[in-house]
Amino acid sequence: MPPGKLISLAEAVGRTSWDGMQYASGAALPVGSDAIVFGRELLRQGRKDLHAIFHCNSQQLNLLAAAGAVSRAECGFSGLEVFGFANGLRRAVESGRLALEDYSNLSMALRLLGGALGWPFVPATVNIASDIQARSAFAPDDYPSRSKIPTVTDPFSGREIGALPPLVPDLAAIHVSLADPLGNAIMLGTEWSRFELSRAAKRVVLIADAIVDTACMRQYPNLVRIPDLVVEAVVWWPFAAWPQSSPGLYDVDEEHMKLMNLALATEDGTAAYLRDYVESYSDIDTYLDLIGRDKVASLSQGPTSFLLDPYRQWILPAEALS
Amino acid sequence: MTRPCTRQEMMAIATGREIRDGELAIFGVGLSMLAGFFAQAHHAPGVRAMTEGGVYGATPVGGLPWGIECNRISANATSFTSAIDALGCLVASGRCDVGVIGAAQVDKYGNVNTTGVWDQGGVIGTRYRPPKTRLNGAGGANDIASGAKRFIIMVAHEPKRFAERVSYISSPGYLEGGDARTRHGLRGGGPSAIVTTLGILRPDPETREFQLDGWYSFSSIADIRANTGWDLKIAPGAQEIPEPSVAELAALRRVDETGALRKN
Repeated sequence: MPPGKLISLAEAVGRTSWDGMQYASGAALPVGSDAIVFGRELLRQGRKDLHAIFHCNSQQLNLLAAAGAVSRAECGFSGLEVFGFANGLRRAVESGRLALEDYSNLSMALRLLGGALGWPFVPATVNIASDIQARSAFAPDDYPSRSKIPTVTDPFSGREIGALPPLVPDLAAIHVSLADPLGNAIMLGTEWSRFELSRAAKRVVLIADAIVDTACMRQYPNLVRIPDLVVEAVVWWPFAAWPQSSPGLYDVDEEHMKLMNLALATEDGTAAYLRDYVESYSDIDTYLDLIGRDKVASLSQGPTSFLLDPYRQWILPAEALS
Repeated sequence: MTRPCTRQEMMAIATGREIRDGELAIFGVGLSMLAGFFAQAHHAPGVRAMTEGGVYGATPVGGLPWGIECNRISANATSFTSAIDALGCLVASGRCDVGVIGAAQVDKYGNVNTTGVWDQGGVIGTRYRPPKTRLNGAGGANDIASGAKRFIIMVAHEPKRFAERVSYISSPGYLEGGDARTRHGLRGGGPSAIVTTLGILRPDPETREFQLDGWYSFSSIADIRANTGWDLKIAPGAQEIPEPSVAELAALRRVDETGALRKN
């Protein structure tokens, strides 16, 4: 294994997570670039009572919520886009097992930026005058809420605006397309809020679909939006976002997206999913077998695979990483 | 009555007609994206379209994208940025001309609920309690509704979706009506139209209450009023909305390659 911060997934989860922690992940959108394999490992290691910070829901939060591992969550969008409602998350919310504090997609990103900059609050012209401001799932008796997005006076204009609370998660598990062993990362596709998250969290673990030589980063330093100096550990795990997509590397697995969300709609289905798709593999090889080698090949030939072309020459083969 | 297209297609075309050439526009996933890219394919080739994910310069390939950042909308983009850039710098700042959002429930002032369905008559009460049915939350729609110069709400026209008052304001319309948006400090101009599977509603310029402005060849005033949960007024000059032209329908069906709008 090359020198640097590369560690195994099991070691990363064991070293950086604990029950009751504030855990941030899923920092792309609901159907792409989600470090869900880290979430699967959290469940394999029995983590519970998590306070989840997800800019948007993803299949990872859907799974963690369905499995009963999350007691509090904060997010903007809480669905699965074209795949519909997130059945595991909604079941946990409707039963009262999980308190879901609602924000919007911009306000979650602004809160991460506020945490990254060490600001006391972030001024907001969104979320104001809506029930996102007035209603708090964390403080349900506070109505209209004065603690969630309090109103402050703009010292320049004298107008009233909202004050968003910054986010400083205990840990961020961030999915990236490419990382080098030192922890420099390139994200293909939108970075969504992964830049802000990587600076807001107290600790950062990267989950990379492919590991590249550092020479790649020296060729494209402008594209390295997460530099090694904010990264504690790097995990290499191909198809880490599956069944969601990773632009340039693999497409959405439509069949499994539907199968998974259907399973998470019930307790029995969730138990079966955990048995078949969380507990059932022992390493990367058996994980890829689980997805199906034919499917791995077909999903890898998507309409965006050309995005990876400039970087392919620096991708380190599996033998070099073992 | 026979229809030249599905109700969903008519809604998408009517929404697309609201978008003008050259505008800076933001589309959500699903129906609103098809409406937006239909406009670009038909009468607004210069529309500057973006998604809230910060994907710019792209048109969908291979069918309706699974999400606003997925491979089908990432395959021919000219710029990938971020949420703060798209929703913040370009939308909440007040720069975006027009947005299109969806709704699970909308009220007579154009306030939108996408957060949940509550029992007990849909009234949450003074203590917050979880919804009976949890929906998708605000997503980026709150940011578009707060900041865009105007926005269009696309929604299936059913009584349960058209309420006197929404249970939860996920994305603000005109709030209590009149000049409430300005008083609350919202930067954007508010909803300019509610385009539905039966017709188009537009706000009264003073009260901001939504009124019936037009119906389709296959719907009627009576039909629309029966499917609206408040006593819907008829705007002066309300009239039948032209059917899709051959060119419009062809453009929409090129964009809707997988026929997502033709399923019902």
